Amino acid sequence: MGLLAVEGLSIGYHTEKGLLHAVEDVSFTVKRGRSLGLVGESGCGKTTLGLAILRLLPENGTILKGRILFDGADLLEKSDEAMRRIRWKEISMIFQAAMNALNPVHRVKDQIAEAILTHEPETPRETVRSRVEALFDQVGIPRSRMGDFPHQYSGGMKQRAVIAMALALRPRLIIADEPTTALDVIVQDQILRQTRRIQEAFDISMIVISHDIAVVAEVCHDIGVLYAGQLVEYGDRESVLQSPMHPYSRMLLGAFLTVGGKPPRVPDNGNDSPDLMDPAPGCRFHDRCPMAEDPCRQTPVASVTVGRTHRVLCRRVA
Amino acid sequence: MELWRYLWRRFIQIGITFFVILTILFVLFRIAPGDPVTRMIGPEMTTEDAVRLISQLGLDRPLWIQYLYYVRNFFTGNFGYSFHYGQPVIEIIWDRLPNTVLLFTSSVILSAVVGVFLGKIAAWRKGKRSDTLMTLGALVTHTVFLPWMALILIWIFAYRFGWFPINGMISEEIWLDPSAGLWIKALDVFHHMVLPLLTLFLIYFGSYLLIMRSAMLETLKEDYILTARAKGLKEKVIRNHHAAPNAALPVVTSVGLSLAFSINGGALTETVFSWPGIGRELVFSVSNNDYPLAQAAFLLISAVVLVSNLVVDLLYAYLDPRIRY
Amino acid sequence: MADGFKTRKKALSRHGHWIERWKEGWAIYKKNLLGRIGLALLSIFTLMALASFIPPLIDPMYGPMSGVDPAITASTGPSARHWLGTDFMGRDLFSQLLAGARVAFTVGITSAFVSIVLGTLIGMVAGYLGGWTDVFLMRAADLIMVMPTLLVVLILAALFGQLNIWSIILIIALFRWPGVSRVIRAQTLTLKERPFIDAARVAGASHVRIIFRHIMPNVLPLSFLYMTFRVTAAINIEAALAFLGFGDPGTVSWGMMLQWVWKTGHMFKAPYWLLPPGICISLITLAFYLLGRAMDEVLDPRLRKEGERY
Ligand SMILES: Nc1ncnc2c1ncn2[C@@H]1O[C@H](COP(=O)(O)OP(=O)(O)OP(=O)(O)O)[C@@H](O)[C@H]1O
Ligand SMILES: [Mg+2]
Repeated sequence: MGLLAVEGLSIGYHTEKGLLHAVEDVSFTVKRGRSLGLVGESGCGKTTLGLAILRLLPENGTILKGRILFDGADLLEKSDEAMRRIRWKEISMIFQAAMNALNPVHRVKDQIAEAILTHEPETPRETVRSRVEALFDQVGIPRSRMGDFPHQYSGGMKQRAVIAMALALRPRLIIADEPTTALDVIVQDQILRQTRRIQEAFDISMIVISHDIAVVAEVCHDIGVLYAGQLVEYGDRESVLQSPMHPYSRMLLGAFLTVGGKPPRVPDNGNDSPDLMDPAPGCRFHDRCPMAEDPCRQTPVASVTVGRTHRVLCRRVA
Repeated sequence: MELWRYLWRRFIQIGITFFVILTILFVLFRIAPGDPVTRMIGPEMTTEDAVRLISQLGLDRPLWIQYLYYVRNFFTGNFGYSFHYGQPVIEIIWDRLPNTVLLFTSSVILSAVVGVFLGKIAAWRKGKRSDTLMTLGALVTHTVFLPWMALILIWIFAYRFGWFPINGMISEEIWLDPSAGLWIKALDVFHHMVLPLLTLFLIYFGSYLLIMRSAMLETLKEDYILTARAKGLKEKVIRNHHAAPNAALPVVTSVGLSLAFSINGGALTETVFSWPGIGRELVFSVSNNDYPLAQAAFLLISAVVLVSNLVVDLLYAYLDPRIRY
Repeated sequence: MADGFKTRKKALSRHGHWIERWKEGWAIYKKNLLGRIGLALLSIFTLMALASFIPPLIDPMYGPMSGVDPAITASTGPSARHWLGTDFMGRDLFSQLLAGARVAFTVGITSAFVSIVLGTLIGMVAGYLGGWTDVFLMRAADLIMVMPTLLVVLILAALFGQLNIWSIILIIALFRWPGVSRVIRAQTLTLKERPFIDAARVAGASHVRIIFRHIMPNVLPLSFLYMTFRVTAAINIEAALAFLGFGDPGTVSWGMMLQWVWKTGHMFKAPYWLLPPGICISLITLAFYLLGRAMDEVLDPRLRKEGERY
């Protein structure tokens, strides 16, 4: 039994034009101390998934069906107050837009201390202070900058501060949404390694969201590939990287692995992302799939187990 | 330090602005039809007095020297004599200035504080009945014609119910009574101030409410609010500690920009309520062709607006660390 | 703020003929209840303004300014003969109220139009030329922005004597352009960076041509929006001026009516005289204000998405 089990989760957004099916029937588990990477192109529903776990979807977003079991209890059934207590204490999140994730009118250290004091109000001031200092040390920001305001930080420092904040309460799960996209490659690498070290040291589970399979391949134990809201492939790192089964994962990996070599041509039938407003009942990838047949479009697909922990959402694989 | 640089720059800008206003007024007084000398020398003055004043104001000298005299006289408070009162203008101004400042600052502060508070609540309850009510209320009171609002309030609360005095700032009998303590006097002033203050408040809180409401709605979409939610903060903390301080910034800016409007309203209110302030004095002096007084009143009102602008800047700098550091 | 301009820019640059744009805009406007109320109020006031020509034709005693009912020597309440009653000289209040609508529209629209034209021109020039021109114009704008318009008009009235309605309109306009010009300048600055301006320059278009052919069409909707807000300011300033006794003695404006009821000591005795002009000034202000807000929603898609109705 994993720490987090997402079962058959579907999420929609109410828009002017109707319901947008952003996430469709997604299931995965995150085990204790392990990390799951979710990859997929822009708009495939990664952030939506992350927000849904914390029940922080925007006003127009709704969870249509499914369960989110955390420690065996369904988060969707918790009261608002119970959910508030879980946030950050149990599950914290590193947001995609780390540049704006810090409040401009408060000092960085206060924003971190606030998280501690909210969930552990009895902590003495001195302890809070030393804990914040320790966090700054861990993510590599000089202590002398603790009292700064966010605008005085560089982008990389803000990113680290956000990571420090996510670690403040030693949560059991951290959802990291594109933790490094805004940074240059060297800093990106540094931060990824730091994150991974901390995660291992404190036995924290993680969901790492990225559009870049290289990032996910570097830090994650398990990998899930999302396409247009569907989890098309899911399995442990080795299986997915070494024997990707879904045509979309193969395309992604092809682009990643064949650096230098000739990447396989991505068939682009003119329509890149499928319409999420009124998706066909079948596989959402059929438009771009080189192996697509007629039934792919119309018949709902079920996921196929191809290994002990490896599942694929494709008729052709079965 | 950044803060000082910012404030210093604003201070200089405001100083220059005032100087330009001073100069424009000088020019206007010279190019207006009629004799500039008769605009400063009252018709009832004795010849000796007139001659003395003319030389004091430099009215017998070339224009540019007149200008220098004019600037010097402004800073030494020598504005000549009021035609109407026959007193030095500066005495009248000093007597009226505190009353204007009292009414103006209390009305601006009251309407801004209440407006910001209600705007915050309205945004938080967006779409609910209380929000609709507050927003509509703000729209309606904000667009009422100010003097009319004043007349209606007088009619209802002073005339019909008799709760408040119809006009003025003090009751003679209380102020002449030697046994009346300071508190009684203060209370008396307050009693007179309720309706003028209410008028200005009703007219101006609405605009602050509307600005705060939309600033707050914008702020609530910011990423750091999502962070605050994810941190498991209580809704009230998110609203008051994370959203409101950011949303208040544009409101502070708009308070600064609307000070000039507020002083217009202040002058109207003073006139309707016979509140002995500079605004009313300006209106009177214009009716009476009391040029020296009109000139000084206008300059002092401009100074009040500019100084309060500076105060608003200070407040802004205090609220926004991006300026402070 | 900057964001607002960005989205506006997007909204404004949507392709399509202007008729299409109007249709599209109207479709959005129609959904706004308060905007519709504003329009309805404005139509009523327009009807009043048009109707103001009728009473004097029926009987000269209904002339708003000079018509006096010979049978009446003091202010009287509403009757069949005088729907809203008469003032202290026996002049018909209803005809005065109708005439006031005409004055309000004249003052509001003319003055707003002039200030918008000025503000748009100055904003475009400052934004397009940049440099010292920009600095100078914007400093001037700052300066004017801190001057209390009403008091400025008062001082001018003191110096230049009784102002007639057209000078009042002009002065208000001269002191009301800075707000618009700031917005238009910001808009121009973003437009200036767009490729089609460069293309025009490369093609040899003169500055004047670029400003009027390429920039102006893109900022006009915004100017138009600001015009509605300026109308309310102008109407209110004129009313306040008239109320204080510095209006054009040859016109009957609502502010003037209020001055008469106040100065002749009728305010506690004659609600039929005190209420209508005040209500009219307030409502016409509200109407233009609602119109402006609804138009803002048409021009700024962000407001729409969030489903703002107020
Ligand atoms: N508030 C919203 N209202 C309507 N639709 C939304 C909203 N937020 C996201 N969507 C839509 O839901 C889909 C998934 O969005 P999501 O933000 O989860 O994508 P993502 O995978 O995180 O993309 P990216 O890599 O660009 O961050 C997209 O089609 C997006 O347009
Ligand atoms: Mg995302």
